[in-house]
Amino acid sequence: MLTKKGKYGLKALVHLAQLPAGQLAFVNDIATGNNIPKKFLDAILGELRNAGFVQSRKGKDGGYRLARPADEIRVGHVVRVLDGPLAPIPCASRTQYQRCEDCNEATCQVRHLMLEVRQAIAEVLDQRSLAEMRDIALDDLPVEVKVQA
Amino acid sequence: MTGRANSMIPNSIIIVGGGASGVVLAAHLLKSANPDLRVTLIEKRPHFGQGIAYSTLLSAHVLNVSAAGMSAYADDPGNFWRWLLERGLATQEQAPVYAPRSLYARYLGELLDELEASEKASGRLRLIREESLSISPTASGVEVALANGTSVVAHLAVLATGHDEVPAAGQGHAIRMGSEADTALDPDRSVMVLGTGLSMVDAFLALEQRGHRGDIVAVSRRGLLPSPHRKGNPIKLDVADIPLGTQLSYFVGWFRDLIRENQKAGIDWRDVVDGLRPFNQKIWQNWPASAKRRFVEHTKAWWDIHRHRMAPEVHARVSEAVQSGRIRLVAGRVVDIAGNEGAFKVEVQSRHTQRLESFDVTRLYDCSGIVRDISTTSNSAVRSLVDRGLARPDPLRIGLDVTANCEIIAGDGAVSRKILAVGPLTRGTFFEIDAIPDIRVQCARLSRQLLG
Repeated sequence: MLTKKGKYGLKALVHLAQLPAGQLAFVNDIATGNNIPKKFLDAILGELRNAGFVQSRKGKDGGYRLARPADEIRVGHVVRVLDGPLAPIPCASRTQYQRCEDCNEATCQVRHLMLEVRQAIAEVLDQRSLAEMRDIALDDLPVEVKVQA
Repeated sequence: MTGRANSMIPNSIIIVGGGASGVVLAAHLLKSANPDLRVTLIEKRPHFGQGIAYSTLLSAHVLNVSAAGMSAYADDPGNFWRWLLERGLATQEQAPVYAPRSLYARYLGELLDELEASEKASGRLRLIREESLSISPTASGVEVALANGTSVVAHLAVLATGHDEVPAAGQGHAIRMGSEADTALDPDRSVMVLGTGLSMVDAFLALEQRGHRGDIVAVSRRGLLPSPHRKGNPIKLDVADIPLGTQLSYFVGWFRDLIRENQKAGIDWRDVVDGLRPFNQKIWQNWPASAKRRFVEHTKAWWDIHRHRMAPEVHARVSEAVQSGRIRLVAGRVVDIAGNEGAFKVEVQSRHTQRLESFDVTRLYDCSGIVRDISTTSNSAVRSLVDRGLARPDPLRIGLDVTANCEIIAGDGAVSRKILAVGPLTRGTFFEIDAIPDIRVQCARLSRQLLG
């Protein structure tokens, strides 16, 4: 399940992917531009830096930028770092498995199907690069809005 | 000229190299029902299916993978195990069995004999015992020039030349165990082995067999010995569980945590390492270039001793030899090799104390690993492709640059539709592609890709 953390992280990365290559963005600008609480965003960007998706520079004109070109970063890879294993429900994971109190995982048909669903999630998210996600967003807007934009 | 008559028949494929990967590829290609298929396997050694890996006759040189994992066929994993059982060479109760490598060579040899017999009428398989000198693209396909002055043509050529026969330059006077340079040696003399991995273990076993009594010093940067196998069940993982495309430290942190959590639950680390195996290529292919480079430089030695293990009996023998002082393991760097034929003075700088220690040895064996800069390969066919710009080393220079479809990439970045590669040559793209369980999967995929 995509948490708020995952969603905010992806929005922040799209923000960075829209900047000219190498240009740094202030955390404040990313936060206000995407309606993300600043403190939460700090933590998210820290994790993305540890995983090697963004780089930061300290100081007055410091900030964040992508560590690699946007077409080399896969959406699914980012989500795993922020939200852990891709899974539609908490019990459908091998490493971060969370037992449901009200059922038996060995015979639970729902879990079995959801294990299949997570493969499909991985297939979609691992195929899409950050650059594609950035550009796809516009195609989904109604034509009138696109023309105005 | 040999093969000219076949040049217009569709689906003609030359496999350059008839060692294990060449035979495994031929076997997968011939599963196709296409009556027009023509597979030509070229090997310079007298026997097919042996290469460097399986040409040893020493019974102590056993496979590093248990028999249950060594089938030549991706879709029939029990093939080798059944072969052993049917011939009374193993029993069900003995499992896991680490069979002598010479027996594996016999298995591949028989498999090829059977294919030759069953394809005799169809003419779909042809074996040539000759060295391949060069491969050239032609208007209609490829031409492979042989050392006897003739050439063979086909639509496609697949390189399956495996490991290099000659040690990499820079190892000074070190020679390969069992090569021509490895002449008779006074059994009381000291020898030094460069490397402490599985090849060093092979060298030690061969020295023991020869009745060698002198000192054996084994040197590598970290001085680590590979771990032993243990019976177990690999943990189950899905690709959705595994962090991909991160930098190396993040991945290593995740993997260490995963091992720790499983150990808390009483699961052996081997089951975690083996559970990751189906995803190793995917993990490698998704890493940024910086992570791949760091892995090869810093993490590979640690990974290798956990991932590439040895039979428990062999491990027991080697550990005993280390404890008794029969083998001296040194973690350090060779800084100088002086002297010549038969009397070398080797200076080694200790990894831990930085102190220099010198060793007087009669012979130096190169067991420093099978990865080397491909542009210095001793294989003529591969070398000529690189020299003419038809192929190039991968970014890490550990193999040839190939696509995920095994097609070689030219110096100018052009992808070849006619020249492909399998096995260890492709490790820059496929990472772990030295062992049969990985090579057979690659060959099965390539066969489907080429023949449908």
